Amino acid sequence: MKIIEAHNLSKCYRIEPEREPYYTLRDEMVNLAKKPLRWLKGEGEKKQDFWALRNVSFSIEKGEKVGLIGRNGAGKSTLLKILSRVTPLTQGEAVIRGRVNSILEVGIGFNIELTGRDNIYLNGAILGMTKKEIDLKFERIVRFAGFEKFLDTPVKKCSSGMHVRLAFAVAAHLEPDILLIDEVLAVGDFEFRKKCLKKMDKASQEGRTIVFVSHDMDSIAHLCTRTILLDSGRIVMDGPTATVISHYLDSGNKSY
Amino acid sequence: MVIFSIFFGRVAGISSGDIPYPIFAYTGLLFWQYFSSSLSAASNSLVSNRGIIQKVYFPKVIVPLASTIGHFIDFLFAGAVFIILMIYFHFFPTLLGVLLLIPCLVITFLSFSGLGLLFASINVKYRDVRYVMPFFLQLLIFLTPVIYPTAVLGRYQWLWYLNPMSGVIETMRAGLLGVGTINWTLLASSALLSILFFTFGILYFKKSEKYFTDII
Repeated sequence: MKIIEAHNLSKCYRIEPEREPYYTLRDEMVNLAKKPLRWLKGEGEKKQDFWALRNVSFSIEKGEKVGLIGRNGAGKSTLLKILSRVTPLTQGEAVIRGRVNSILEVGIGFNIELTGRDNIYLNGAILGMTKKEIDLKFERIVRFAGFEKFLDTPVKKCSSGMHVRLAFAVAAHLEPDILLIDEVLAVGDFEFRKKCLKKMDKASQEGRTIVFVSHDMDSIAHLCTRTILLDSGRIVMDGPTATVISHYLDSGNKSY
Repeated sequence: MVIFSIFFGRVAGISSGDIPYPIFAYTGLLFWQYFSSSLSAASNSLVSNRGIIQKVYFPKVIVPLASTIGHFIDFLFAGAVFIILMIYFHFFPTLLGVLLLIPCLVITFLSFSGLGLLFASINVKYRDVRYVMPFFLQLLIFLTPVIYPTAVLGRYQWLWYLNPMSGVIETMRAGLLGVGTINWTLLASSALLSILFFTFGILYFKKSEKYFTDII
């Protein structure tokens, strides 16, 4: 069964070079007063379109582990944001059959004044777990993060590495049909990273689909069977991980 | 309330009829505070929670509405103080007044939610709105019968019908303090207006919601 189908996904961002970094109502009113005709005609300032994604089509089978690689700005995160419905599409269609959980950033909604225990509940709720689910998984989450000692200290007193461990531990215990993971493991130490990869591997054996963005080719090679290479918003290559990675690394060498 | 009593009640000599000025002003302030603090929280809520909005998918209407819950708790505490004041000034609420408390709170909620949703969406697009909001809210208090009775407008009474909070505050003054009669037309127009505000706020929010993540 195809669990994700993307047809000609395109995402366009407007860049307005003449603009102030943010809109203000004041400017808008001044502009309106200056050029009332222009506003009526609906002529705006020159706008540049930036296509973060252009005609991206692919489909992912249930249980597949897909890696997404590419340079910075290639559109990997945008693609994940679209698949997780955080941002709307400009063109195209994305069909998703199942419950999606996305980890676009580690520790969303963490409150550093709260204790580890409270943050597990808070973060879990934000990621879409019910209180009962968290109650059930609480022990495992804490053990996974190695957080037993700090459970009742405010998170602000822990190291930033511990934040990431705790946040990822919560995310790793989600049980969605599709798991979208943006580059989030980079901060953890070697051992923790291995643990996470193992956990994701196990999740996919249970039939979950994983889309994984990373710059760490080892992790990709380790986890993913299929990899998609993006460059400037287009799919350059889509195939078995080993071939795609070697193509990516070769093209990187050529351009220098 | 003390400041208001001294300045408006004593110095400016605003007449509050049969009701002592402190409790007169406090009844107004009680509902006004709930309205204005919730409105300002809702208006800023989207921008201040941008981290979550950009990273997680969920119905975004929750954000402005949730931000006002805390102010309801504040209202409850302020209500407790109000009861103490009522005992001190020997006022007794009518049964009708107590019953009307719930519709009045609903009107207040609909009004600030509607406006809050509208302002929150505008705030996402125009970042200067949040700097004007506090002044705007401070001005609004003078367009509402908080510190003076509705009688001050003389023959321009109809202006009160444009402000949903005027119905709430007037009704509660008459009902909870048991002085005077309830102006049903004013209350009805408040209810109607608040529903209108809420519908418009929700519709505008829904329309602009899609693009929040891209421009927030």
